[in-house]
Amino acid sequence: MDILYIFLGLIALILINVPIAIALAIVATIAMIVVGGTNALPNIPLVMFNGATNFPLLAIPMFILAGAIMNASGISRRLIAFASALLGFIRGGLAMVNIGASMFFAEISGSAVADVAAIGSILIPAMRKKGYPRAFAAAITSSAASLAIIIPPSIPMILYAAMADTSVVQLFVAGIVPGIIGGLMLMGSAYWFAVRFHYPVEEVFQLKRLWVTFKDASLAFTLPIIILGGIFGGFVTATEGAALAVVAALVIGLIYHELDWAHLKAATIEGGVQTAVVMILVAASALLGTYLTEAQVPQTVARTISAWTQDPLAVLAILNIFFLIIGMFLHSAAAIILVVPIVMPLVLAVGIDPVHFGLIVTLNLAIGQQTPPVASVLMTACSIAKANVWEVTRVNIYFIAVLLLVLLLVTYVPVVPMGLVDFFYR
Amino acid sequence: MMRLRQWYERFLESIVIVLMVTLAVEVLIGVTYRKLGMSLAWYDEIASVLLAWLTYYGAALAAYKGAHIGVPELVRLMPRAWRVATVYVGELFVFAFLILLAWTGVSVLDVLATDTLVSLPKIPVSYTQSVIPIASVMIIIAEALHLPERLAEARADEPVIVTTGDP
Repeated sequence: MDILYIFLGLIALILINVPIAIALAIVATIAMIVVGGTNALPNIPLVMFNGATNFPLLAIPMFILAGAIMNASGISRRLIAFASALLGFIRGGLAMVNIGASMFFAEISGSAVADVAAIGSILIPAMRKKGYPRAFAAAITSSAASLAIIIPPSIPMILYAAMADTSVVQLFVAGIVPGIIGGLMLMGSAYWFAVRFHYPVEEVFQLKRLWVTFKDASLAFTLPIIILGGIFGGFVTATEGAALAVVAALVIGLIYHELDWAHLKAATIEGGVQTAVVMILVAASALLGTYLTEAQVPQTVARTISAWTQDPLAVLAILNIFFLIIGMFLHSAAAIILVVPIVMPLVLAVGIDPVHFGLIVTLNLAIGQQTPPVASVLMTACSIAKANVWEVTRVNIYFIAVLLLVLLLVTYVPVVPMGLVDFFYR
Repeated sequence: MMRLRQWYERFLESIVIVLMVTLAVEVLIGVTYRKLGMSLAWYDEIASVLLAWLTYYGAALAAYKGAHIGVPELVRLMPRAWRVATVYVGELFVFAFLILLAWTGVSVLDVLATDTLVSLPKIPVSYTQSVIPIASVMIIIAEALHLPERLAEARADEPVIVTTGDP
């Protein structure tokens, strides 16, 4: 019964717009006082400090900083130029360029919001100039950026790995094939739009231009090789790979002579703020986690659902629906931090691979970033395009359907995400 | 008031920049030494402490910018008077918790007075843990400085959409 009051209190505080981290900490404090009296109070600052010292999560500020430096050093522009030379000849060329550039950018940055801001600020105005409807430009940029968070590196995956105590490297590897399949499926649906609504071809395919833009962006291409090659090859950990990305991005920025220091300063501050808002959630959830673990809530959830069904496919269907709904109302980081520790005992009890489940969670929350009312990536794309959220959603529904297809594929054909993981690591 | 707000924002931004850069440099030094076969004993512990400091001092800046992750959608649908009332009620909870955190944060420093870091015994734990009460007070000030903006948003006919720091 206490648990019910805790969740009702938490929901009430969240609905009156108390920051989720503070809401978590408040209900946890009340629960701790109810159980242990005021003697429990000194635990609050201790647990909240320890909760923020989660070493594997150091990769988050590092990847955010690397993305910020890359953004401030002209890399996005070069990636877009290359994607344009490679894909611009297809009907609806700029939409293809958009998806392609998002996928390239995703191999360096771990954040969908950073991705949509970097790619969208250049490509949405360009698409408007070429006569693409505002809603379509925002929708394709937004969906492509969200798909990109399953392509490594990925901040939600780093968070999931820490919460579920599983391998972040295997999660990164699991995202590669579904990411490529999803990108190609998005391109297919964008092509259908382009043919139906007569969107223009961007440029004639020229091998020479492809070579020139490739040479121009070649240093940027070395980044994913260094970062991902280092992590996958076992030479560096994810955190060290992220630190390597910071150095590589700085060196490339200096070589390009395009490092914009004012932009870099602003991006560093923004990176610090983003890190803090995620980490304070982690710290506050540690406080609530202490209570939930004592009250054996995750085990109770596992027992209740597994008494009803032990079929992994049915459990995955339930969890998929649950995550899709929660993704509409919570930001991805909050959803992972709040829900993953509670459902993990159930996932393990019915024999679902935690790496496989991690990819399912990440993809679900990528879709959540597209579904209003709470849809951070969609909102960013709409704000760049100055488009109405609901008008964009009417177009975006087709791209969300594509993402749902990828989710079904990842959930029910495990070899798609797990094939590479099994081949390299098991 | 405006000058105080600008000064406070710049002050918080400077702390965040220093911590981000220090953290990056520390991780790089740690990685380099490990690759050279001379792992630094204090690398993990100091990096974790720096991450906690970045979390709490960064949270003060996030509070000032109104960037903490929340769900403002229901409040936006409310009539104006309700919107304003929920801002006051919500802030009451936030201030109450932060004051409690600052108070317990100070009281726990006495308990930790004799503890030191494992890898660097010269550094007392009370020094690293001091971030909790100090940052709590800084977040309280940031919330107080941000409050007029939140009230203005709640009183406006069309509530402003505030973006959050979700990655």
